[in-house]
Amino acid sequence: MADWTPDQPILEIDNLSISFFTRLREIPAVMDFSCSVMAGEAMGLVGESGCGKSTVALAVMRYLGKTGRITEGSIRFKGRDLTTMSEAELARIRGSEIAMIYQEPMASLNPAMTIGAQLAEVPMIHEGMSKADALKLARQIVADVRLPDPDRMLASYPHQLSGGQQQRIVIAMALMSKPALLILDEPTTALDVTVEAGIVDLVKDLGEKYGTSMLFISHNLGLVLEVCDRITVMYSGEAVETGAVAEVFNTMRHPYTQALFRSIPLPGADKNSRPLVAIPGNFPLPHERPQGCNFGPRCDYFQDGRCNGADVPMADVGPRHESRCLRWSEIDWDAPIAARKTHEKTPVGEVVLRMEDLRKYYEVAGGGVFGGGMKKVVKANETLSFEAREGETLAIVGESGCGKSTFAKVLMGLETATSGKIMLYDRDIQNTPIEKRNVDTVSGVQMVFQNPFDTLNPSMSVGRQIIRALEIFGQGASDEDRKQRMLELLDLVKLPRAFADRMPRQLSGGQKQRVGIARAFAGGAKVVVADEPVSALDVSVQAAVTDLLMDIQRENRTTLLFISHDLSIVRYLSDRVMVMYLGHVVEMGSTDQVFQPPYHPYTEALLSAVPIADTHVKKNRIVLEGDIPSAMNPPPGCPFQTRCRWKSQVPGGLCEREVPPIRDLASGHQIKCHLPAEVFATMEPVIQIAAE
Amino acid sequence: MENLTALQITTAIIGQFWPVWLALAVTFALSIRFKRRLGLYGKLFDSPVGMTGFAIVMFWVFTAIFASLIITHDPLTQLSGMKNAWPGAAVKNPGEGIYQHYLLGGDNLARDVFSRMVMGAQSVLSIAPAATAFAFMVGITLGLPAGYFGGRLDTSLSFAANLVLAFPVILLFYLLVTPEIQAAGPAILGWRASIPNVLAAVLFAFPIVFFTILWNSRFFTNPRQRNIYVGITLALGLWVYIGLAFNADPTGIWAMEPNLLNVFVSVVFVNAPTVFRIVRGIVMDIKSRDYVAAGQTRGEGPWYIMLWEILPNARGPLIVDFCLRIGYTTILLGTLGFFGLGVSPESPDWGSTINSGRKLLSQFPHPALVPALALMSLVLGLNLLADGLREESLKD
Repeated sequence: MADWTPDQPILEIDNLSISFFTRLREIPAVMDFSCSVMAGEAMGLVGESGCGKSTVALAVMRYLGKTGRITEGSIRFKGRDLTTMSEAELARIRGSEIAMIYQEPMASLNPAMTIGAQLAEVPMIHEGMSKADALKLARQIVADVRLPDPDRMLASYPHQLSGGQQQRIVIAMALMSKPALLILDEPTTALDVTVEAGIVDLVKDLGEKYGTSMLFISHNLGLVLEVCDRITVMYSGEAVETGAVAEVFNTMRHPYTQALFRSIPLPGADKNSRPLVAIPGNFPLPHERPQGCNFGPRCDYFQDGRCNGADVPMADVGPRHESRCLRWSEIDWDAPIAARKTHEKTPVGEVVLRMEDLRKYYEVAGGGVFGGGMKKVVKANETLSFEAREGETLAIVGESGCGKSTFAKVLMGLETATSGKIMLYDRDIQNTPIEKRNVDTVSGVQMVFQNPFDTLNPSMSVGRQIIRALEIFGQGASDEDRKQRMLELLDLVKLPRAFADRMPRQLSGGQKQRVGIARAFAGGAKVVVADEPVSALDVSVQAAVTDLLMDIQRENRTTLLFISHDLSIVRYLSDRVMVMYLGHVVEMGSTDQVFQPPYHPYTEALLSAVPIADTHVKKNRIVLEGDIPSAMNPPPGCPFQTRCRWKSQVPGGLCEREVPPIRDLASGHQIKCHLPAEVFATMEPVIQIAAE
Repeated sequence: MENLTALQITTAIIGQFWPVWLALAVTFALSIRFKRRLGLYGKLFDSPVGMTGFAIVMFWVFTAIFASLIITHDPLTQLSGMKNAWPGAAVKNPGEGIYQHYLLGGDNLARDVFSRMVMGAQSVLSIAPAATAFAFMVGITLGLPAGYFGGRLDTSLSFAANLVLAFPVILLFYLLVTPEIQAAGPAILGWRASIPNVLAAVLFAFPIVFFTILWNSRFFTNPRQRNIYVGITLALGLWVYIGLAFNADPTGIWAMEPNLLNVFVSVVFVNAPTVFRIVRGIVMDIKSRDYVAAGQTRGEGPWYIMLWEILPNARGPLIVDFCLRIGYTTILLGTLGFFGLGVSPESPDWGSTINSGRKLLSQFPHPALVPALALMSLVLGLNLLADGLREESLKD
């Protein structure tokens, strides 16, 4: 400790290798990983799932479990080597000098203790502080993480808080002992975008205020750009590129980093003129890594005999900028992306689906021992009206609780509408539950689900699941016929035919999602509801699955209802956008209309909240206060009035009294807001691309 | 003839079990050789606990299968002078071709304890797994819809299950197997509609219902195939059903003696509610998965989703519980036998044998001790097996 001075790195990881030992073999999870974090610096650790970024974080805390072991290298924290430290020494450092924040806030809080008691515990254990002092400190820190009414917060139990509030408490707990290093492992992945924006803001400010160094782990490049000073990109257990954030974003020197950036939609990207470039192939399994460069088999610049020869070392490519590529000095990094196939925008056809004033209310029993007591009405959907045409992509955007899943259920026939109309072609289907719908209607409206790990039945082979869909949709005359159709469907979603006999657990997330798509199209679906089909996939796979969906849509002229909260991807692929908040459609229009002012105040905040991985983009930062109100207990008047920053512009408190009417601003552009036209005219674009 | 020493007894017993050792060796050699291809069963051989449990269970299973090869004497034959003989005692005046010793002594009716213990394994193992399987059929068939549909159906079925569980088990048994209760009830075409008989008629129908729905829900899109499967199920099922439940099988192959029927029905009746609750709980968890929603949006019927989408994915905990439950059932059968309920007095089953050995326990402990140890080891083996399966099913 004596020989450490603040101008040396707080955390210095040197040639770290970590392996997990299973009964079959040793699985190397991290190989030859080095990085250093200076005092007050925020280091971003980016990579796809399974690349070893969380393992590095856990190794810093020495929480590798029974099977994990550090096989080589050192982790020095303030000059002391953590890898050789005793349990007692570690216990002193954990939680006091190094603190960790996990993805799932509820899992880090003890549900049986009040927030105050949990927070006070930290300094009481580490510094022997008295309970009264500890509570006083807790109160101050809770105020620091910008939670309203700190005294009430301290007295509540974790389940009484919302997800965003819980994560703020976890951050407060980490800050209680003023740690020198904060490790954040995907701290906002479980939260909604507008809530995420608030947390990111908070983390950034706290870093500056307390001078804490941070190791920020994320798969989201945009978030890293907002929070971090430096970035390390990991691929398959190795750091492939490290450097200052702006440098890596603008002048990347590793093919994987480049491919990663080309596979995410940036503002200005369009599915027809500038399609995304997916990274070919799949992420290698830890025990199936190739010789030489791990990225070799998927790399555009691969050279046989050289890239797959010996292990590739890190090379200096600039001041504190390193890349693990043999050819970094030979590649022309500014070359334009090789000729990509562009598509004509497909013309939209007839109206296929029409909703008129659709409402869906639920009655919820209001507690009581035997379900008696007051009944409460949850208004999941309020006066939903729209049309969707053949070959069109309509995006439905909103955060949790906005009613998009309820809407999907009503459309699919899993629930019936409370009032209003759903017309599929010329049939009314709002009151026909799925068991009464005919095979045509059922197979004509299908769904692609969000979670790839849940969408397939784990105990049924892939082929069998597709064949079942064919059977139930009455496709094919015989078993052989259906088998043939199933193989063709696998071709359609670009999976090898051999996958028919595989079990779902043998498939990667992206491959499972492809099977899900094949299953949805088994009966020649006319309308496909895609419920966040790529949000759970890794970035490099997202592009491929999105493209596949677009290709199939183009060929079959399917109407796609694309439910998502990711505005980048919505902007990239949709023709029209519908923004929902607490069951209301607050804005609807063509993609250009929605992404340019005038905005609905909620759309504006949503646009501003989405992290964008481009240093040229300038954003108008709007962070919403508070959380999304519960649908059980919506605010009176306009649903958004509790968080709206424009509310003062409407005279007479109209927002708190009346639900705004739907107003047509331009052809097809509707906004549900009380704001006068003059105010709309003054709105500025949230996202601007700076001139280069 | 000399009496045998302890060492000689041990050697003789081990030798007597030779078919069991041979079968065990073959099973283990094959299983370990191919364990990577055998799924969960194969993984069992990676866990010492699971392997031990499996070995003990299979020991008794093979003992039951080869019982007639292993026994040294007929379990019902009484040899003069062997009353309460000590283990290893030589048989007095052995006849031609008769085994020379009572390896584990004689009981108070001068029968060979060793042979009775071996035959007891057969009687226990022919009832316990079958009764448990029936309990699972009933529990699954009722638990699936209760968990899947919820609401009133769930409330009433759960209430009924709780009622059964709230009733003292032993008392319930006494009631079900009392002769008065068995004789009560109106006679219909020579079949007495007493409580146990009616229960049997109801409970034994569940497997038929289960398999009929199982095939129909999957193959209704292809009527020809459906008719074959459902037809075979109904034909076979009803044949066995009228034999077991009504003792009216014209061919006489399927029949159950009234005493056994009572025990069987009672065991199924008290086990089914627990299975019901387990299944209901798992279904409530699994029904929120996307693949269930995918089935619903595809227009699948509820029974297809329950039986083909949910049930296969609930198999892990159910298999573990099945092993544990065979153990409970074995204990239950032992308890019943101990109280002299259900089985005939000279039956070699372990419970009755312990009971009959109980009277002279302080002077001659061996007639009771041997079946008690046998019972204990079987249940222990089942518990270890269940532990091993649970542990391995959680690992990757």
